[in-house]
Amino acid sequence: MKRPSVLEDPKRELWLAWYATIVFYNIYTIVFFILTRTQPPGKPWYGPEAVVGWFDGRHDGLLIGFALIFALGGLSATSIALITYSIRRMSVSRAFAYSYLILYAVSAVPGFLFICVVMTVGAMRPDRSPATQQWLYDLGFLSFSGTMGVFLVGSLIWMLAILLDKNGVFPKWFGYLNLCNALTEVVVAPSWIFHRGAFAWNGVIAWWIDVVVFGAYTGVFIYLLRSLILREDFGTGPLPDRPPSGPARVAEVAAS
Amino acid sequence: MGRVDGERIIYWALPAVAVVWLAAFFLFPGFTPPMSPRSSPAQVAAFYRDHTAQVRYSMILFNWFCVALIPLLMLIVERMRDMAHRTPILRYCVIGVSGAAPIAFLTATIFWMCAAFRPDRAPELTQLYNDLAWITFTCGVPFLVALCLFLAVAIGLDQQDRPVFARWVATFNVVIAVALIPAAFAGLALSGPFAWNGFLSFWVKNVAIASWIVVMAVVVGRAMDRDHAGAEAAL
Repeated sequence: MKRPSVLEDPKRELWLAWYATIVFYNIYTIVFFILTRTQPPGKPWYGPEAVVGWFDGRHDGLLIGFALIFALGGLSATSIALITYSIRRMSVSRAFAYSYLILYAVSAVPGFLFICVVMTVGAMRPDRSPATQQWLYDLGFLSFSGTMGVFLVGSLIWMLAILLDKNGVFPKWFGYLNLCNALTEVVVAPSWIFHRGAFAWNGVIAWWIDVVVFGAYTGVFIYLLRSLILREDFGTGPLPDRPPSGPARVAEVAAS
Repeated sequence: MGRVDGERIIYWALPAVAVVWLAAFFLFPGFTPPMSPRSSPAQVAAFYRDHTAQVRYSMILFNWFCVALIPLLMLIVERMRDMAHRTPILRYCVIGVSGAAPIAFLTATIFWMCAAFRPDRAPELTQLYNDLAWITFTCGVPFLVALCLFLAVAIGLDQQDRPVFARWVATFNVVIAVALIPAAFAGLALSGPFAWNGFLSFWVKNVAIASWIVVMAVVVGRAMDRDHAGAEAAL
């Protein structure tokens, strides 16, 4: 059987949003880990002179990388829209879906626009006084890792919706993975206090463990959103099981 | 007073808001002509000392009314309900960027007003506020770019005999998205077309935003008239 073309596919809007989500998270990873090297983050204990050296070492990377976010960062709305849709698909109040949509929509400004603006301002004038450069460096990293509440409450809203849902939109274990993501926002709070150690913004807990949990969580939800789209039947009741794939599917079609 | 009257009030408030936007634009002395990123800290400090009142009043106006873009965006979102889509995904995408787009600009007005709050502070600190304001204002386009792309896709997929918006509106939104992208690169240059006062990052970007508002207001007005005529006929 020929696959329907994109324009004829009844799930075209869902697939477009899903692929845009993949594009966004790839750009995000490349910009933060490779181009700007702001992940893993700089050391919170750097003095003003060391911060100037940090900016010097990644001058072009910061400016080019964050320019890409300024151009394409708005694609982050596609994953928020898909998740909002997934909640609308559940047997819970629309209040859950709209809460998630608004929480994550407003998170964009403090959660990633700030670090892009502040690091760009730091990189564009390397001759600024070292004390001022350190001020920007602190604001960049603290606003990025320290924007907590929107992700904390957003994850709890999604968790609660999944656990209450009777339509089987997501497996219940994923509800608990949301709790893990929410907890990363709890254990990152001490990065507002400590300059060194496991709880500092680059520490084993506040960065390494959190990034692993967030990475796994993001990978899992992108995969689960894909299977939601595959199973979608545009009804409001329970989602159908996934069709068997491979030879079994061929046999089933042949028999019918 | 029904749904229709409420939408008409929102719609006809727009020309008044547009007058305030234009007035604030021309009242801010840093836009005509746009300030140079090459100015020294002393020159930047002198600018805020010499034009303190105009900076404050123009930015108070922008702070009050830049978010008045949101009701226009919601009129568009309401029209999107009539598009031949199977899911509300694209509507959620547009709502998802509708708040952040003007809030990025509101953040810039805060930095500009902070710069003007104590014009006698150390010039380097006034320059810092000025840089934060200009980069937030100039580079803060990701939500507008995404808004145009989401609308272009939504209109492109609205395949019915009488689509909500004409096909050319999708093309227009793609053109505007492309026109906004160079501004994202303003941090890379202190002079030339990409600098925050340059041809692409200032003039093309701001003319694109102004054209988008005018064109989308006109097409949403037409779509509302059709929609409302249908609603009234059904009564």
